[in-house]
Amino acid sequence: MTSRVMQDFNLLLPETVPEALGLLASHKDKATILAGGTDLLVALKFDYAIDNVISLALISGLDELAFDPLLGLTIGAKVTIADIVKSEEVKQHYPALWQSAVIFATPQLRNTATVVGNILRASPAGDCSLALYALGGKVTLESTSGRRDVYLDDFWLSYGVTARQDDELAIAVTVPPPGQGQKSAFRRMTRVTEDLSKINAAVCLQMDGNKCVAARVAMGCVGPTLVRLINVEKSLEGEEITTDLLQAISDTVASDINPIDDIRSSAEYRLKVAGVLVKRVINLALNGGSDQ
Amino acid sequence: MGDLKVVGKRVERVDVRAKVTGGALYAADVQLAGMLYGKIIRCYDYAHARVTSLDLSDAAECKGVIKVLGPKDVTQREYNASVLDMMVSADMRGVLGDIDDQSIFTDHLKHYGDAIAAVIATSEAAAERAAEKIRVTYEELPVYLTAEASKQPDALQFRPEKPGNRAFELPEMAFPGNVYAWGEVEESFSEADFIVEDTFYVSKQKQCQMEPGSYIALYDDQQRLNCWTSTQMPKLVQKKLANLFELPMTRVRINATVIGGGFGARLGMVLEPETCALAMAVPGRPVKLLSPREEDWLTSPSRHPGKYWMKMGFKKDGTPVACDAKFENYKGAYYVDASGTAFTTGAWLGGMYKFDSLRYRGESYYTNQSICGAFRGYGNPQTNFVMEQLVDRGCTQLGIDPIEWRKKWHKTVGDDGWCMGVPYNSCALDECLDRAAEAIGWTEKRAKYQNQTGVKRRGIGVAVMNHTSGAMPMLLEHTVCDVLLHQDATATINLACSDMGQGSHTTLRQVAAEVLDFDYDDVHIATGNTDAAGFDIGAHASRTLYVGGGAVKQACEDVRRQLFDRAALELEEDAANLYMEDKIIHVKGASNKSISVQTLADQGVNNFMNPENGELIGQPGQIQGYASFFPPHNAPPFGATIAEVEVDMETGEVKVLELVNAHDVGKAIHPGVVEGQLDGGAQQGLGMALTEETYFDEKGICLNNSFTDYKMFGPSDMPKMTNILVENPDPTGPFGAKGVGEAGIVPPVGATANAIFNAIGVQILEAPITPEKILKALEEKANVS
Ligand SMILES: Cc1cc2nc3c(=O)[nH]c(=O)nc-3n(C[C@H](O)[C@H](O)[C@H](O)COP(=O)(O)OP(=O)(O)OC[C@H]3O[C@@H](n4cnc5c(N)ncnc54)[C@H](O)[C@@H]3O)c2cc1C
Repeated sequence: MTSRVMQDFNLLLPETVPEALGLLASHKDKATILAGGTDLLVALKFDYAIDNVISLALISGLDELAFDPLLGLTIGAKVTIADIVKSEEVKQHYPALWQSAVIFATPQLRNTATVVGNILRASPAGDCSLALYALGGKVTLESTSGRRDVYLDDFWLSYGVTARQDDELAIAVTVPPPGQGQKSAFRRMTRVTEDLSKINAAVCLQMDGNKCVAARVAMGCVGPTLVRLINVEKSLEGEEITTDLLQAISDTVASDINPIDDIRSSAEYRLKVAGVLVKRVINLALNGGSDQ
Repeated sequence: MGDLKVVGKRVERVDVRAKVTGGALYAADVQLAGMLYGKIIRCYDYAHARVTSLDLSDAAECKGVIKVLGPKDVTQREYNASVLDMMVSADMRGVLGDIDDQSIFTDHLKHYGDAIAAVIATSEAAAERAAEKIRVTYEELPVYLTAEASKQPDALQFRPEKPGNRAFELPEMAFPGNVYAWGEVEESFSEADFIVEDTFYVSKQKQCQMEPGSYIALYDDQQRLNCWTSTQMPKLVQKKLANLFELPMTRVRINATVIGGGFGARLGMVLEPETCALAMAVPGRPVKLLSPREEDWLTSPSRHPGKYWMKMGFKKDGTPVACDAKFENYKGAYYVDASGTAFTTGAWLGGMYKFDSLRYRGESYYTNQSICGAFRGYGNPQTNFVMEQLVDRGCTQLGIDPIEWRKKWHKTVGDDGWCMGVPYNSCALDECLDRAAEAIGWTEKRAKYQNQTGVKRRGIGVAVMNHTSGAMPMLLEHTVCDVLLHQDATATINLACSDMGQGSHTTLRQVAAEVLDFDYDDVHIATGNTDAAGFDIGAHASRTLYVGGGAVKQACEDVRRQLFDRAALELEEDAANLYMEDKIIHVKGASNKSISVQTLADQGVNNFMNPENGELIGQPGQIQGYASFFPPHNAPPFGATIAEVEVDMETGEVKVLELVNAHDVGKAIHPGVVEGQLDGGAQQGLGMALTEETYFDEKGICLNNSFTDYKMFGPSDMPKMTNILVENPDPTGPFGAKGVGEAGIVPPVGATANAIFNAIGVQILEAPITPEKILKALEEKANVS
């Protein structure tokens, strides 16, 4: 049951990244990183035990949201969902990410929650995470012993578990520059507008005219982690995207996923609508506004 | 009635500034010197269990702990948190079979979150930490979540006096055959050309008031029990606590704090008994008890869920010949409102249409769910979901327009109302239906939405309702009001009516100002202290303006009468020959003969002697008005909602596009307040129809006792909405007003369900109508055809 009383912990407020890394190196699994806190505080209410909280609040330099046509998009660890919504470049070059941010929670939450926090939470429902997964993002992790990049394909190991080591700080997530014919989109289904997804989907297609050259299709809430729909991707690649193809694909999605019953929906329903969702998100990517 | 100066105007609400600036003082904000904090230990492992051992010793040793209390350390008296037993005569209480079956702490735990023991400590943190140190062992008992399960012959019995776990059925003595009925149902059905029939499920909706339970109690130096609470019913809670702790009423004082929403969740007692029991254990020290949302969810009542079977018979021309119904509700762990809701659910059914015969059975069964009790509408939303869907099924088979059918067959003036033998005295439902239909374009849309084929299909549906203003004659309705006229000709109105946010203190003040012929700002509504205020039954049954307003009106008329009597003496005129304007009493036709209200009020208080002649100047005595008001009727409000929806045939998702609510409100004392009630009601009605339900797993563990997974309509889910206020004054209401507090929630439930039916051609029998259920129903339909 939840508590009304905030538990005691040491609040650590490093002012630089190296300082933060030092703290992580000494506290290891006895430290929890606090970004926007929108997941962490909910966990705390339910008595999630923590000893030391390392807040990112005072660290400067982690709030970079930068687009470079050659390098792609860099999203620093303190970039909020609201920052994404405000970015014209994200809206133009990475519609999937922008769409996943626009529908995210409420203004208060968007102003607080971070994109990197969404990824590190490793929820199978994470909206921005899903968009970034389809867009081919990778996470930059840093510790006192150096830096490494991990593609999101390899990042979520199981429910709530990531490839991050205890002493690592996620510095940023980066997304490759959009190819010439890149089209992307995100869509989700919820019980009411402000909600976590009951099922969500994101696509990133490399198009050559009507022909799909490469595809990344990802889905959430259909397994312990976000998943790629490999069979769907294969069916799309090298093909011209027609209504018939989309119908055929939407009929096969169920074979790529393994949903369960939970409080937000049922396995049965998710299996039924997954194909519809994929069809619609592809249409959304190709046609912009219209999603039928 | 002449020109109204204050009534009917959109004056500033009395509470608005404090609420939007954060100045409003809720119980949680109240800080008293030497405050202690309570924490109740609840069982979150089982929904049904017996405590086999309880060890409080480690908790007692914790830092900051003042006292630890187990079941034996508090009063052993049982109670019933509901107040229904105080609203009926002792005889009727016996007939209904209401029982006291709750105790402060228990070793027979009957629902997830039931209370075992408590800690009192110097801080909330210390209390919580100590609570974790309490050691309990349990014997797990079988869990019954539905009436169907708990009525099984081998089921464990919740209460010896309620065999078969049936907490309530309509009692034979008041309802022969255990039914609320008229006519001969079987005979009438035999005259029907066709019959529609189904079993529905209505959900366990929660009030979701903003303020979670917060209480303070202090057993003070005068051995008086003081309780700070945002109850809807200060005077009844005062009496209930007096009974429970065996104190005279004069030694119990309720400080009614600002209410952060009620909707029935604070009707009667919630955690007042527990808080007071803690305070009695530490005399002289105030004890505060604050519930997190998740706990508030489990300890305050919800709407009654359950199975609702109904059957209707029609003739080919549409004549409704018979209606038969049975509502078996899942009462939850304790009795609470077992009798009230089981009855009224049928009363609203009986009050709606002119069936030749009607028969209703209402039964409440104990279950291991959290308790149910009062919730805005009190059985009416449940009936609306079922009755209105069946009527539309009938209309579809008849090929009759649902609005035309309703206009022809709804009850109206002269027909028996929801309470048989009390005929309706006003009804403007036809006008509500006509204006709503016109506002939304019913006829065109209804025609347009036939034979759709696309993925997104639209539908439009209607529902109507009758409700009440106060529960007379079923329950006692009574409010006492004192009006104190100050010497500067302003007035303080003293009464115990609460304002849960519905705006009643604003509208009561308007009524007072209008009757006194004062400005709105010349009147203050004083509430909050049961030491000072006379009796009031409390805010329930949409009655505060109707009954409380009736009391205010009568008490203010008493002031007026005294003013006129005194003016008559001063002016040496017949009182009948006087009139008042702008606080001056004039003699009709003699413009130079007048006296001001201020002079009369001042002379009454400062009744000096003229030193020259030794005579008193003016009439002595401060003027006070008084009323002990029992309303003559229940001024039934009527209402209609038309909903337009769009259903996604591939996903089952429903988008509510538009809602038009047209309500017969008698007279809108404050149109903005009425609109607020209709808006808020619609938000909850849509939630009941589409998203809101409390879920339990098979062991009875509640899965969504918080806003994370209990989903209400938020601002961006709300449709375009129009409220039409039809003002057809009720002959008995103050300035013709009827109650509007509950009406708004009711017809959006049925109208939404009917709009979905209109869009997809299938009825969903279980609330809430989720996309999951819609897709399943569409699939079943496809398989059949
Ligand atoms: C009301 C409400 C609505 C919500 N709606 C949505 C929604 O619509 N869609 C959605 O996807 N989510 C939603 N969420 C979940 C949550 O807001 C998101 O997951 C959010 O992006 C988390 O970011 P944060 O900055 O608040 O993370 P925090 O709570 O600060 O951290 C989350 C986790 O990540 C770790 N972490 C954070 N930053 C770093 C870092 N730089 N390096 C290493 N570890 C790190 C933390 O230690 C923690 O374990 C909602 C939450 C609430 C309370």
